[in-house]
Amino acid sequence: MKRMLSLLLVLIMALSLVACSSNSGGNAADNGSGNNAGNNSSAGDNAGDAGDADTDSDLSYVQDKGTLVVGITYFAPMDYKEEGSDEWIGFDADMAKLFAQSLGVTAEFQEITWDYKVEELDSRAIDCVWNGMTLGEDVLAAMGTSVPYCTNYQVLVVPANQAADFEGLTSLEGLNVAVESGSAGEEAALALGATTVPVQSQANALMEVSAGTSDVAVIDFLMADSMVGEGTSYADLTYTLNLNDLQELPAEEYGVGFRQGSDLVDAFNAFWAEKVADGTVLETATTYGLQGSVILD
Amino acid sequence: MAILDVQHIEKHFGPTKVLEDISFSLEKGQALAIIGSSGSGKTTLLRCLNFLERPDHGTISVGGNLIFDAEDPATQKEGEVRKKRLHFGMVFQSFNLFPQYTALKNVTLAKELLSQERPDFKEKKRQILEEIREEGEVLLSRMGLSDRAGHYPSQLSGGQQQRVAIARALALHPDILCFDEPTSALDPELTGEVLKVIRSLAEQKTTMIIVTHEMAFARDVADDVIFMDGGVIVEQGPARQVIEHPREERTRQFLARYAENGGA
Amino acid sequence: MIEFFTSSTFQTVLSALNSGFFKTLQLFFITLIGALPLGLIISFGSMSRFLPLRWLTRTVVWIIRGTPLVLQIIALFYVPGIWKWFNWPSGEGGRMMAVCVAFIINYACYFSEIYRGGIQGVPKGQQEAGQVLGMTKSQIFRHVTLLQMIKRIVPPMSNEVITLVKDTSLARVVSLQEVIWMGESFMKGNSGIAGLVWPMFFTAVYYLIFSGIVTMLLGRLEKKLAFFQ
Repeated sequence: MKRMLSLLLVLIMALSLVACSSNSGGNAADNGSGNNAGNNSSAGDNAGDAGDADTDSDLSYVQDKGTLVVGITYFAPMDYKEEGSDEWIGFDADMAKLFAQSLGVTAEFQEITWDYKVEELDSRAIDCVWNGMTLGEDVLAAMGTSVPYCTNYQVLVVPANQAADFEGLTSLEGLNVAVESGSAGEEAALALGATTVPVQSQANALMEVSAGTSDVAVIDFLMADSMVGEGTSYADLTYTLNLNDLQELPAEEYGVGFRQGSDLVDAFNAFWAEKVADGTVLETATTYGLQGSVILD
Repeated sequence: MAILDVQHIEKHFGPTKVLEDISFSLEKGQALAIIGSSGSGKTTLLRCLNFLERPDHGTISVGGNLIFDAEDPATQKEGEVRKKRLHFGMVFQSFNLFPQYTALKNVTLAKELLSQERPDFKEKKRQILEEIREEGEVLLSRMGLSDRAGHYPSQLSGGQQQRVAIARALALHPDILCFDEPTSALDPELTGEVLKVIRSLAEQKTTMIIVTHEMAFARDVADDVIFMDGGVIVEQGPARQVIEHPREERTRQFLARYAENGGA
Repeated sequence: MIEFFTSSTFQTVLSALNSGFFKTLQLFFITLIGALPLGLIISFGSMSRFLPLRWLTRTVVWIIRGTPLVLQIIALFYVPGIWKWFNWPSGEGGRMMAVCVAFIINYACYFSEIYRGGIQGVPKGQQEAGQVLGMTKSQIFRHVTLLQMIKRIVPPMSNEVITLVKDTSLARVVSLQEVIWMGESFMKGNSGIAGLVWPMFFTAVYYLIFSGIVTMLLGRLEKKLAFFQ
């Protein structure tokens, strides 16, 4: 009896080891087909190749299960909730619902930890990242990305009563600057000689300034515009300085991220072109005060 | 006919020979004392009789029935060993009472569990358990512990605990009651009460094997004495003769050393 | 002061924290229900006389106890999907499932060592006393060893269980929205409220009350077993 139980346990453990090793094999094959990241258009072109390797397409995978899981973080005016409501709204959230509709599925919003967005995608825990995501080099390398749909730049968030001190600043040297770890803001702050304090999210970066634990923060203009200043939760903060202009860098662009080689990229681009053409994009953007930032050509 | 007959028992622990060619027999109603220095194999011998160790050679018979033969695996089946153990009762040096049960429950537990195997247990459960409880109380009162029935072992003195252990062993009516140095773990002032109980058992003609260091007690209570040294029986015979007039030199030396050290 | 507790902000925060704490409790109880029996099975494996099994079990226990739980959660949630092995169900349910599996395995390994200590700590003489009284192996385990083992494992087990109460907060690494996640969410924004720090610290009240109750119950159990030594 005892011996039987022992053997059974050994068997189970041995099987799980075999399972593990066979999967590392699958992983290796995966890496082989997954090196098609250059820029967003080539990711789209290569969708067919990766699709062959994986037998069926990402699009049909999503349609089969009937949901498009949209990875987000709380980011007004892109993805957020009104007080007392449990529904995700915002420019990104509204457009995501329309996109899901066009695929014949329902959109499901999943809050994620931003640092794990690539793992969330690759493990199929989510189907896309649609959350005012800057199309930086690392994102382009790790995901299949859409056409850019919105422009953005980095701004300096400072305590409102010290705003005057930061007028005409050309360097951030000597300042403790709170930034979201791995964000475009972090790059900008480092380029301007700041001592950075990397935190988990842009919202946490605002907290740092509000609590006085960092001198200033560098975050996205779009977020700063909706979360900072009179009538917001951070009435004691304000933003100044376009850091992209300061470094003579072009504006950043937002895009939607899918799995590498996913045919959802093409589906999205076609959907987006259609919605730009019929005016839905501008209309939705205007609802959330983004008419100046959204890309319409 | 002898109630117990042990023939040519041998036991090794790895390369060490602990018992070598041990043979003796015991008549019903007799008390046998086994003496010898520590490490002479006395305790191992008792443990072999109780199937706590398995001898490498030899046979054990009880009441004329062969219950163990080292050469015959059929006599060593797990399920039957359990029943065969019931021929023997065992009182340990360190009592080994069950700490989570009262004195009375310690005495009755095994019998209650055994009674579950009776075919009429279901119908007469209440009556059977009542009988077992009454018998347990009688046993405790024979040990002079009537007023301690509801106490837990940790609330009893060492002497009281050992007397509960004796009652526990008696509860199953073993053919042969074994004592493994029953007073060695006790403070000197507590040994008397335990020895008195064993003495009265001997007077009631309980068949017993007593491993002991109490020479005077062995002489007075036991019918026969075995002296063991280095895993062999050096000398065996009537108690008074072996202890007062040993024939073997090694026995004499052992007893002399014992007298010097103040034991007796 | 009273106005604060009746304000709609407080009510909103409280209901969010409650829903987060409900997940914390779910995780806590599912982990216990899974890990308590699994730990016993693992402890039998680690005491087996069959050497390969003992070696294998102890290696697994060493790996699980020697690596951070947070790493195990991340690996268990993301790796199966990345390796195209299987996908956890989508949504909160799948996250909860993955986290529960990680917690059960982790805690079962810790529990197994406590069980092992408890079983091996019961003196051999107890088993022998049962044997010479003609008890079967299972009778000895049930009627002799078990309660003594339980008495031995209750104090170290209590420590682990209290630790588990707090370890549940690690689940937020894969975005399981337990109570601390909910508390933190009001810093960056939740239900139209942003920039509130106190909800995060307020979660301490939940932990204190809950671990207080658990401590009290375990203390009671310990007292109940104090009748013997």
